[in-house]
Amino acid sequence: MSWFSMSRVIRMMWVVMLFGGLSGLSVPRAWSGPITFSSALPLGDGIGVLRGQAKFIRKTGDPTAADRELNVIAVPTVMAWGASARLALFGVLPYVDKRLDVTLPGGRVRRESSGLGDARVFARYTLHRVDRPGDTFRVAPIVGLKLPTGSHSERDSMGTLPRPLQPGSGSWDPFFGITATRQTLAWEADVTATYRINTGADSFAFGDEAKLEGSFQYRLFPRTLRSGVPGFLYGVAETNLVWSSKERAAGVDNPNSGGTILYLAPGVQYVTRRTVLEAAIQLPAMQNLNGTTLETDWVGTVGFRWNF
Amino acid sequence: MKLSALILALGLSFGGLAFAGDGPYQIRVDGLSCPFCSYGIEKKLKALPGVDQVEVDMESGVVTVRMVLGATVSDKQLRKAVADAGFTPREISQGQRQP
Repeated sequence: MSWFSMSRVIRMMWVVMLFGGLSGLSVPRAWSGPITFSSALPLGDGIGVLRGQAKFIRKTGDPTAADRELNVIAVPTVMAWGASARLALFGVLPYVDKRLDVTLPGGRVRRESSGLGDARVFARYTLHRVDRPGDTFRVAPIVGLKLPTGSHSERDSMGTLPRPLQPGSGSWDPFFGITATRQTLAWEADVTATYRINTGADSFAFGDEAKLEGSFQYRLFPRTLRSGVPGFLYGVAETNLVWSSKERAAGVDNPNSGGTILYLAPGVQYVTRRTVLEAAIQLPAMQNLNGTTLETDWVGTVGFRWNF
Repeated sequence: MKLSALILALGLSFGGLAFAGDGPYQIRVDGLSCPFCSYGIEKKLKALPGVDQVEVDMESGVVTVRMVLGATVSDKQLRKAVADAGFTPREISQGQRQP
């Protein structure tokens, strides 16, 4: 598909999301929440949510003789807490396992690391809220900080691992954004925009990262609501537009880093009043990457949430 | 005959008044559109003194609060609990206790 055609598809997707999600269309009843990013859904005063995920990421497509293959397993644990009816606090602590297979003059070798990754803490404040019967619209800015809790000096028999292969970045990186959610008994639509400033440590900085993400969820079962709070099965369609600038090492840009990726992510979600079970796969629809940057084959996500 | 009928009518009327207010509270809640979020309302309302049971009906957006025998709760307490859960309370009514 050409870039022109792809850009038309992207524009159409956003138009559908924005108009379908934020206007008052009348459709069958359903509900759920985004799988691959956060939303503006309510988290009341003194209410907590524990969220666990496992992400499987595979990157290949090295055009060089090194034929690099990167496999990452990330297991982030998220704790969310309602400090008030409007202010929610979040903490994310990931465990990561990274494996890079590469062909060197001596043959194929594997370099790997595992351990605690970089934690994130952030706050979300519900700035605007419109509640109607079975229907809510919320807008909430987000501000947070990525903490250097993961090691960035791991070594193997070949020496210090490359920085992208380290469990952590070593840097304190602020981020901010805004999220909007329109939720009805029938469906939910979310749009989130975030930007992270990667500051760097020890003469290395990852490129800044910007994301524009959207999600649409639709209840598949039950088709008609029963009394009480029945469990719902949702079909989920999400998209993530991710841009990152080039890494900088010793003050010099790495030409083989950064770029833009557009993911399309179908998923499924089962929701009850206390738990959510969910799975999605992010498939790259477009990758415009710099130099020999590895392409993403797919990102698989499975997870749960528990209310307390 | 007329006197006994009058006494019976008065008895029924006062009996009805005596029971009115003993039944469950029903709160219409706006913004209640997801099962996962509904737990917050349950938790906040159950934390009120004297509350025995809380039942949420997603489709109607009505939350029913049943009290232990003899306990009461104010309109203000109910509204605060719903607001603290992140939702908008609307009309609150009280039914009669079922025999």
